[in-house]
Amino acid sequence: MGTTSDTGTNRAGEQPTTVSSVGDEEGKASVTDDGTELERTIGLKGGLAIGIGTMIGAGIFVFPGLAAGQAGPAAAGSFALGAVIALLVALPASELATAMPKSGGGYYFVSRALGSLAGAVVGISIWLGLVFATAFYLVGFGNYAAAVLAEAGVPVGGGLVTPLAVVFAFLLTGLNLVGTENAAKLQNYVVGLLLSILVVFLAYGGLDTVGVFGSVRTRETLLPFGLFPVFTTAALVFTSYLGFAQVATVAGDLKNPGRNLPLAMVGSVIAVGILYVATIFVATSAFGSARLETFGETAIVEVARQFFGRPGAIAILLAGLLATVSSANASILSTSRAVFAVSKDALIPGTASRLNLKYGTPHVALAMAGGPVVLLTALGEVEILAEVASFLHLVMYGLMCVSLIAMRRNEPDWYDPDFRVPAYPLIAGVGALASFGLVAFMQPASLAIGFVIMVLSAGWYVYYADDVQLKGAL
Amino acid sequence: MTDDVTPADEGDLSIREPPKVLIPLAVLEGETVPKTLATFLDPADIVVLGYHVLPDQTSTEQASMQFEERAQETIADVAAVFEEAVETRIVFTHDRDQTVERVAADIDATAVLHSNPGGSIDDVLVPLRNAIDADRLADLVATLVAEHHVTLWGLQQDGFDAAAAVADASERLTDRGFSADRITTETTTVEGDPIRAIVARSAEFDAIVMGESEESLRSVFLGEDEDRVAEATVAPVLVVRDRDTGDDS
Repeated sequence: MGTTSDTGTNRAGEQPTTVSSVGDEEGKASVTDDGTELERTIGLKGGLAIGIGTMIGAGIFVFPGLAAGQAGPAAAGSFALGAVIALLVALPASELATAMPKSGGGYYFVSRALGSLAGAVVGISIWLGLVFATAFYLVGFGNYAAAVLAEAGVPVGGGLVTPLAVVFAFLLTGLNLVGTENAAKLQNYVVGLLLSILVVFLAYGGLDTVGVFGSVRTRETLLPFGLFPVFTTAALVFTSYLGFAQVATVAGDLKNPGRNLPLAMVGSVIAVGILYVATIFVATSAFGSARLETFGETAIVEVARQFFGRPGAIAILLAGLLATVSSANASILSTSRAVFAVSKDALIPGTASRLNLKYGTPHVALAMAGGPVVLLTALGEVEILAEVASFLHLVMYGLMCVSLIAMRRNEPDWYDPDFRVPAYPLIAGVGALASFGLVAFMQPASLAIGFVIMVLSAGWYVYYADDVQLKGAL
Repeated sequence: MTDDVTPADEGDLSIREPPKVLIPLAVLEGETVPKTLATFLDPADIVVLGYHVLPDQTSTEQASMQFEERAQETIADVAAVFEEAVETRIVFTHDRDQTVERVAADIDATAVLHSNPGGSIDDVLVPLRNAIDADRLADLVATLVAEHHVTLWGLQQDGFDAAAAVADASERLTDRGFSADRITTETTTVEGDPIRAIVARSAEFDAIVMGESEESLRSVFLGEDEDRVAEATVAPVLVVRDRDTGDDS
């Protein structure tokens, strides 16, 4: 394991560690300084499953009711706007990831392009951003678990949602601590199953909506509340698109990253974007947004019941359980990778990246993910959790776009991406503006929480690691 | 070895292609090569592949930071069991089979060892049940089985001429200077699963050399043939690789 000498040390005297930069065997394995090989085991399918699996839980199974309540049928526009912004960020992220196929994702690019202060702010806020996102998915899960019990005839009120979510937060963290064999393979199957259920459901619902099966459904004005809510709703539902950048956090394990990374990131955004827009379209046509809103987080279940009766409702309930769990689990894993990336760079103590000897799992990092997740889940505030998660991610996305511009304007010798963004100043520039712009449409409470987290992150950097130099160090 | 003679010469009493044996070991879980087995394999080129399988939530980079040194030390200890210098490689992976296949293709290994404790090796069983790279097999057996006894056992099934395969393997062995009185040949007609028959006889032998399994419905449900044999016996199992496989699979 090699350390570079001119990178500075943190308060504990640790230096950034560099691993595996020497070689790459046709994208099948990377090689460390000491000749140890690191096998790349995740293929394109696996990459897409991570991206789609992380995202799909939110947009379809939590947001339709909330979004339609805020923006009416035009909520479909909010989702489309989110997809466009996500794509504008996914392209620069793809270029950066193919130039630096390291685990750590967005944090890694920002710290290398803009230096350690920006890196520390992004790295620490993205850790918490993922924690907020995980808590949000788990509250969604709690809603589905409670609805399943209600469907089964167990008399439960809304009071059971939070306890169920908290129990599952413990369970998922525990499972990850002791190591789940074949978790990645399982994720592939779960995502495949989900996509099949959704495509059948949306295809039937879509055809029915346009009148193929006779009954013409609810008609209402597209913009019952005007244009402004479309943007605020886009800011809220942007949480549904946070997953694509998680693909970059496993870049070090991805086969042939030059090809598979951009495909997985852009592909998963397009896939879920289409599903989201179709879902809103079908859902608002079935009920009208006012009624949809009253169904809350599990609105999509009522839509399925409308089309297919009880079996449809049960199928969508189970799909919702699977989707929210898979999103939460993928986020916990990403959180532990994010913690590892900052700890490796000596921005937080190195203990955080230690592995458990018995299970081979990063137990400290997982605890740093699971612990705060449990706390936030207990709060149960869906909208605040979603917006803070989006806020912290959007800041990183904006800075990634800025990073691309910085890298391109002054390319280091090692900068040799397999994928180059066409018209980069335009795409990255608009991507950055859109990311920062979306933040402005959030609720004041979310803005305040996000802002405080960023300031604290910067404060931590100044206190603990302001000597560490990361800019340009591959 | 004679360098001047073209390898293809009929009746040339030498090895056509010096066999290379890949030994995959779960290096941090204490897997090692027993001295008797090391002595048996020493005449071949040896590549020891120390791998460490990680749970999905652990990045290979993270594991290498913490375990690389220990893995290097452990594999050096394993390498020291062999008389000759051996090549060692260390891989951190999430998928053992993918790693073994990649490295085997990378070094173009003749055979891959499925290690078992075993004792001293005198009697070697070569069950022939499907198409096998006969030259590679002969090179391997002739190199390793210097003074011992080898049993070529054809398992007759539909679509496979066991008697011809046995005769062919026997001829190739004697071509390489392997004395005929150390070869036993036999042929059995098997009903059903040949692997069960191989397992049933394996206790009489100290090592088993066999070909790769073909994709079949049976292997999907029961696992790869070589894994089934290796699990059911105490003898080390060497699997001869077909020549151009594993590259793009």
